[in-house]
Amino acid sequence: MRPLLVTLLIISLAFIGNAFAVPKVAQERVALRQEEGISPVIPSPVARIVALEFKGLLSDAIFSRVMTYYGGKLIKEEELSDEEWDWFYKSIDLATDLDPYFLDPYYLGAMNLPWAKKVKEVNTLLEKALSYRSWDWSIPFYLGFNQFYFLHDNEKAASYLMEASRRPGSSSLLPALAARLSYKGRKTENAVIFLQEIIKKTEDETIRKSYEERLNALKKILFLERAVTAYEERFGKRPLKLDDLVRDGAIREIPIDPYGGEFYIDADGTIKTTSDLVHKKG
Amino acid sequence: MTPIWSVASITFKEGIKNRVIFGIVIIALLLFAAATVITNLFMRDIVKVAVDLSLSTVSFAGLLTLLFVGVNLFAKDLDKRTIYMVISRPVSRQQYLVGKFFGIVLLAFIITFFLGLLSAIPVAISKRIYYYPEAGFDWRIFFIAVVYIFIKLCIISSIITLFSSFTSNSFITLVLSLGTYIIGQSTEAVRVLLVSGIEKVKISPVLSFMVEAAYYLFPNLSAFDLKIQAAHGLPISSSYIIWTVLYAISYMAIVVSIGTLAFRRREFP
Repeated sequence: MRPLLVTLLIISLAFIGNAFAVPKVAQERVALRQEEGISPVIPSPVARIVALEFKGLLSDAIFSRVMTYYGGKLIKEEELSDEEWDWFYKSIDLATDLDPYFLDPYYLGAMNLPWAKKVKEVNTLLEKALSYRSWDWSIPFYLGFNQFYFLHDNEKAASYLMEASRRPGSSSLLPALAARLSYKGRKTENAVIFLQEIIKKTEDETIRKSYEERLNALKKILFLERAVTAYEERFGKRPLKLDDLVRDGAIREIPIDPYGGEFYIDADGTIKTTSDLVHKKG
Repeated sequence: MTPIWSVASITFKEGIKNRVIFGIVIIALLLFAAATVITNLFMRDIVKVAVDLSLSTVSFAGLLTLLFVGVNLFAKDLDKRTIYMVISRPVSRQQYLVGKFFGIVLLAFIITFFLGLLSAIPVAISKRIYYYPEAGFDWRIFFIAVVYIFIKLCIISSIITLFSSFTSNSFITLVLSLGTYIIGQSTEAVRVLLVSGIEKVKISPVLSFMVEAAYYLFPNLSAFDLKIQAAHGLPISSSYIIWTVLYAISYMAIVVSIGTLAFRRREFP
């Protein structure tokens, strides 16, 4: 009888102790976790070896750690420090080294890193995605956007957008956007070739008409650009107005802008139009 | 052929009756259930995460089965001296060992077949919940990856057969097989690392020779890991399938044959 009583006593005492300890452990853990913060990122060759056949799974785990950490900061409305952004980038880089086809880390990086002044890093990341996810149009699209918006390089932006529009499933607006950026980046010839290629593949009648209109305008700009170059070679000076070309017999007449604007020579010698290649409303 | 088959079927029946299998299958089912929940935490590529979790579960469960059930199926006969009953019948030692090997392969087949079918459920569910249009996924490649998990388990079975043929203790077999599995999974990554060269680190010729030797000696299990291909629907060429299957069959034939040579000279307790 007595051993049973002793056992029961021990169990009940242990229960009480346990009931006190559980919430305290939880408290201590919270404090400890806050101190933990960001952990160092292991180099990817090492990670590739120790992950054995579970590389995809490790990639998921690393990415979800970044996601929850960043999400937690957003909920608390705290800014990430430079060190934390660095960790953010390195973790995503590691996750995409383990599975270079995994879209989510690229996506999270492309959406957040450029705004934290890590454009160069995110472009390296997206270049990796560009070669692996060779079917996905959204990758060159993000790259094009970064070039255009953060680095102000229209030429590169246009070439990325062209790449994006060549990939299946891309938005039908991309070719027009790329052609426009190309033109702004003084690559009219590229834009013409690009649009011609796209028109061949376009089956939708209305979309093809809008492309043809843009192609028509760009061809006229190209014609004028070439005339200006020829004029410079012949007379040794740059024409001031398009009328100079007609007067000196370089061209017969100034073509009409299909968008309803008028072509002119800009101060830097490029051909521009008052319509800016969009239909004016009304 | 018949003696091999009878040893194989007895081995399989003995293995499938083992309660450990129940535990492993229950763990696998719980992991499948967890996969359906975990995938919802991700943003776009959730089918990829579901495939990662399901196929890793199949592979892990198969590995556990072989290491904890398969290894013991060999040791039991020697420990309990039941091997005398078999050897006294018209079954040669080689036939006995090959039969044991096929019995374990059959066990691995049933486990992968059953769990492989079930692993499609979390993937199908996550695919219904959200399918990002740019996510490439192909059921055919998913099931090719399941078949490759089975081929990988067959290779591990042959390794277990080899080690069981000369070790006296099932624990030693377990440790050696596990070690071979770990080396086999990482040998390709180590080799690639050495070939590509680490910055500012000079690699000694002895080390690179050892890595090269390990690459040929141990099975290259990375060749049978198609989880990433399955997750993104990346095409697998027919030449890849032909060469890897040929590699697997020849490797298993060599390993099991060496096992029979060792087993022939073995003295029973």
